[in-house]
Amino acid sequence: MSEVARSPARAKRWTRLEYERLVDLGAFGPEERLELIGGQLVVREPQGRPHSTGIRLVAAALRAAFGPGWTIEAQLPVALDEESEPEPDIAVVAGGPRDYLSSHPSRPTLVVEIALTSLALDRGEKASLYARARIEDYWIVNLVDNILEVYRDPEANPDSPYGWHYGSTVTLSAGDHVRPLSVPNAEIRVADLLP
Amino acid sequence: MVVSSGRTKHWTRVEYERLIDLGAFRPGERLELVGGALLVSEPQGGPHFTAIGLVEDALRQVFGSGWTVRAQGPIALDEDSEPEPDLAVVQGSRRDHSRSHPSHPVLIVEVAESSLAFDRGEKGSLYARAGIADYWILNLPDRVLEVYRDPVAAPHAPYRYRYGATITLGPRDTASPLAAPTAAILVADLLP
Repeated sequence: MSEVARSPARAKRWTRLEYERLVDLGAFGPEERLELIGGQLVVREPQGRPHSTGIRLVAAALRAAFGPGWTIEAQLPVALDEESEPEPDIAVVAGGPRDYLSSHPSRPTLVVEIALTSLALDRGEKASLYARARIEDYWIVNLVDNILEVYRDPEANPDSPYGWHYGSTVTLSAGDHVRPLSVPNAEIRVADLLP
Repeated sequence: MVVSSGRTKHWTRVEYERLIDLGAFRPGERLELVGGALLVSEPQGGPHFTAIGLVEDALRQVFGSGWTVRAQGPIALDEDSEPEPDLAVVQGSRRDHSRSHPSHPVLIVEVAESSLAFDRGEKGSLYARAGIADYWILNLPDRVLEVYRDPVAAPHAPYRYRYGATITLGPRDTASPLAAPTAAILVADLLP
């Protein structure tokens, strides 16, 4: 046969504006949790108690580390790029809660994902997407191995899902400390982030 | 850009039709709902569009009154699929489907140029699962008509069904629709 296996039927790619319009139109059910990732609507899988506990721990630690002038957001939309509106487990954004009344924040200074079942997605597509958006500081609280993975130095990389990856990866365990890039004087014990 | 590690949103046909009613799509945007996924149709070339017209003309001659030949119209195929096959022959008149799309065409024809693998694979399995008894692919690269019949369960097919019988007809062969068995359509008449 002459034809290649390439499937010509391509998945519809939503823009962020289309997606926000769908949300405004009430196109999704109240219990439906979605993220727009590179034009695709990705379902957020239900998460168990370790994941929820991880979110609370990270939020508390970052609130103490960052102090006033920053908002620690848990699972709220980030207007990341033209075709992406993820809802990271934690995003640290400059300013106060009312600063984002007219539009979602787009440039978090730190993004944290708590990964148990989502580890492959968080290391793969999400990391590449955040790197492309030049998120300078991206952490994965890896509940599978009980470690913290710190990703920095976004750079172009053609082999990555969105053409970008993080040039630097540091893996920290419970006895280590981590300092957020934008508050380098703050020191957080990795043990305090792990459930 | 396919997200491989995450599960993408699975749309039901009812949700999809609501999106259309809400005006969620751009004018002229051609989409199909296939097994819960929203797929963009490729722009059509001259041979593809010509072939659709030729098949439409031939089917209209064969299926007289009491049947409607629909070109690229939506089919309410199943709970999570609303494809727009290149041609579908349905019972009744056009106004019979003014309130809801037809769901059980007696014949579906896809004209395949670059979409051959998809039309044979995903679409074939989807139509087989829906019990479409007569499915034709007008294969433009090879200038043949592929006739698929006898949908059967097949655990490894994309939608767990496939067609048990496949016949490939050359330009000098004739095809008879299952629903119009006395008619004979010359395959050459369908090819651009």
